[in-house]
Amino acid sequence: MAGRRSSIFAVYLLIHLCILALLWAHAQPGQSRARPDLELKRQMVGSLGLTDLCLFTEARYTRHPAMADSNAPFQDHPMSFDHFPSGSIVTVPEHLRYESGKP
Amino acid sequence: MTFIQKQRNILDVALCSLLRRKGKNLSLVVAYVFVIFLLSSVMFITDALKREASFVLKDTPEMVVQRLVAGRHELVPTAYAKVIGKIKGVQSVSARLWGYYYDATNGANYTLIVHQDLITSPGSIMVGRGVARHLSAGENGTIPFKACDGSYLFLEIRSVLPSESELVSADLVLMSELDFRRLFQMPEGYATDLVLRVRNVRELSTIAAKVVQLLPDTRPVSRDEILRTYDAVFSWRSGLVIVIFAGALCAFLILAWDKATGLSAEEKREIGLLKAVGWETSDVLLMKFWEGMAVSLVSFLTGIILAYLHIFFTSASLFEPALKGWSVLYPDFRLTPFIDGQHAATLFFLTVVPYTAATIVPSWRTATMDPDSVMRS
Amino acid sequence: MIEIKNIRKVFNAGKTNEFAAIDGVSLQVDSDRITVFKGPSGSGKTTLLSILGCMVRPTSGRIEVNGREITSLPEQFLAEIRRSGFGFIFQQYNLIRGMTALENVMIPSYPTGERRSSLKKRAVELLDLFNVSHKAGSRVEELSGGEAQRVTIARALMNNPRFVIADEPTAHLDTKLSREFMDIMLGLKTEGKTILIASHDPVVCDSIAVDRLVGMRDGRITTVDDRR
Repeated sequence: MAGRRSSIFAVYLLIHLCILALLWAHAQPGQSRARPDLELKRQMVGSLGLTDLCLFTEARYTRHPAMADSNAPFQDHPMSFDHFPSGSIVTVPEHLRYESGKP
Repeated sequence: MTFIQKQRNILDVALCSLLRRKGKNLSLVVAYVFVIFLLSSVMFITDALKREASFVLKDTPEMVVQRLVAGRHELVPTAYAKVIGKIKGVQSVSARLWGYYYDATNGANYTLIVHQDLITSPGSIMVGRGVARHLSAGENGTIPFKACDGSYLFLEIRSVLPSESELVSADLVLMSELDFRRLFQMPEGYATDLVLRVRNVRELSTIAAKVVQLLPDTRPVSRDEILRTYDAVFSWRSGLVIVIFAGALCAFLILAWDKATGLSAEEKREIGLLKAVGWETSDVLLMKFWEGMAVSLVSFLTGIILAYLHIFFTSASLFEPALKGWSVLYPDFRLTPFIDGQHAATLFFLTVVPYTAATIVPSWRTATMDPDSVMRS
Repeated sequence: MIEIKNIRKVFNAGKTNEFAAIDGVSLQVDSDRITVFKGPSGSGKTTLLSILGCMVRPTSGRIEVNGREITSLPEQFLAEIRRSGFGFIFQQYNLIRGMTALENVMIPSYPTGERRSSLKKRAVELLDLFNVSHKAGSRVEELSGGEAQRVTIARALMNNPRFVIADEPTAHLDTKLSREFMDIMLGLKTEGKTILIASHDPVVCDSIAVDRLVGMRDGRITTVDDRR
C-alpha cells in the first residue's frame, strides 16, 4: 500500500516527531554540557558582584535593568525617550512598577 | 482496526482535497510555518535567557544600596556603610566602585568595575571578550582611556576574560581603584553603591525597610528584585519582536480565516457528493478535521524544528539586529538549549486547535445541508 | 419496493418566491424494474429522485422503503440507508478530481472502515465489469466522457445497493454510448436491481429495457405508461 497519501503523511509526521525528539534529547545533555560554562558565569557574577546580563550595552537602563531607577530612560539625553529596539524588549523592572514608597 | 482504517480512508480524501488546491494550501502552510517559526523562536530565546539568568544570577549580591539625589544616582558616602553595618542581620557591607565609560572613538559603552583582588597593581586591567574583540586588542595590549581632565590613561590588558562568560562579561573592564578614581576624579570616601551580605535571606525586606528608615536618600535593591527583573524583561508579551510579529500574525489570520471559512463552490459540491453517496455528516466533519490537522500539524512541527535550529544552532541570527539595537558591543554567546514543554504545548494549543476549529466550523452548515444540491449543479 | 404517498416538496416556504417542486405525488416503485421519469426541465423529476433516494426530506407526505417509513428517521439513519440501499449516477458524473478512478469508486465505502484490500478488490471487479479497469490508476480528469460515465456507474454499485438512481445519465453521451448505458442498466435489472432514471432523452425513454414510463409536468404525474 505504498504511495498512499495517508501513509506519506504519516511518515512525514513521524520523521518530524523523530527530529523533534532528537532535538529534545539534544537539549537535555545540552544542559549538563553547558554546566561548566554556567558555573563559570555564576562564579563570575558572585566574585565581581554583577547584577545583570550583558545583552544591551547602549544605555545604562538596558545594560543594568536591575539597577535602573525610575528616571533612567530620560536621563541619557533630552531627546532620547527610549533606546530602540532594546528599550522595547527590556521593560521597566518590576520593583519600579509595582512597589510604591520607593523612588 | 476498523477505526484506524476509517480514519486512514478519510485522511486520504482530505489530503487529496488539499492537494487539489496545491498553490493556495502551500502558501498557507508557508505562512503558517513562518508564524510558528517566529513565535517559537521568541519562545525558545526568552525561555533560554530566563533560565540562564535565573541560574547565573543566583550569586548576585543579596542587596545593593544606591543613593539617589534629585532622582539621579549619586555617589554613596562610604560612611553609610558603617550605619548599615550596625543593622541587625547584616553580615557585611562593602563599597562598590563601578560605572560606564563611553569610548568616543569607537562609539562603544564599557562597564568599568573596580576589583581589588583580581587587579592588584595600578596600570593593568582585565577586559571582557567583547571589548577585546571590538578593539582588536589582546593580552599585553594597551587601551587609552580619556580621563575627565582631558589627559589620557594608558592601561595594559593583563588578561581577557574567558569567552564562555561573554553573556555576563562582554563589556567589562576590571581595573584598580587608583586608576578608577583618577579616571573620573572621584573623591575619596565615596563609592558607586554598597553591597550587603545578610545572615538570613528571609530578613531582606526588614533590612531594606531599616536601611530606608535610617538613610532616607537611599534605595535598596534586593536579589529577588534583580531576578524578578529578568523574568519580566523577556516576558512573552513584551517587546518589539512581538510587535513585528503581530503584523505577520494578522496577515496569517486573514489568510487562514479566508481559507478556512470560505468554502469554495467546488468544496461545497464535494461535500454534497460525499453525503449523497452515503457519508454521514460526522464523516464529512471528520474529513474537514483531518484537513485542518494536516495543515496545522505539518506547519507546527516544521516551524518549531526550524526555530530550534535557528536559536540554538545559529544563535538567533535573525533576531540579532533587533537584539543588538544601538549597542556597539554585543556579546557573542551561545545559549544553553532548553525546551520548555509547557510553553511548547501552549503554543500547540494556541495554533493547531484554533486553526482546526476554523476549518471544521464553516463546513458544519454545508455538511448538515441536504445532499441534493449535488444533483442541481 | 418504494412507496410514496402524497408527497409535497415546497421551496422557499413562506416567501414571495415560494413554489412547490413536487405537488402531491403518490407512486409505487416496484422491485426489479426500470422506471423512467420523463418531463421537461423544471417538472420536478430531479427533486422526486432526490426524495426517492432519501437525499431530501419532503415537506409533507410519507415514504416507505421496503415497508419501512423513513421520513421521520434522523439524518444518520438516512445516510446509512443511502449508503447501503442506493447508488447514484449523476448528470455531471461528479467524480472527485485529483483522485484516481479506483479511489473514486471506493469512496462510498470509506466510512465503513472496511479493509482497503477488500475494498480495492471489489472496486477493481466493478471497473472490470464495465471494461474500464485499465483506467483504474488514472486520475478522473484524464477519462473520456464514456469512461467517466462507467466509473460513475461502478461507484454507484460499490456498496451493492438494491436501488440505482440516475439523473439525466445520458445528457453528455452520444447515441452509441447512451445505448450502451441502457444495456448496462438492463444487465443490472436482470441482476435484481431496481432502477430509477430521470431523463427526456428518447434513447432512454424509448428503450425496450424500460418497464414503466412516468410523465411529469409542474410537479405532478401526468401519465403512467406500464409497458409490461
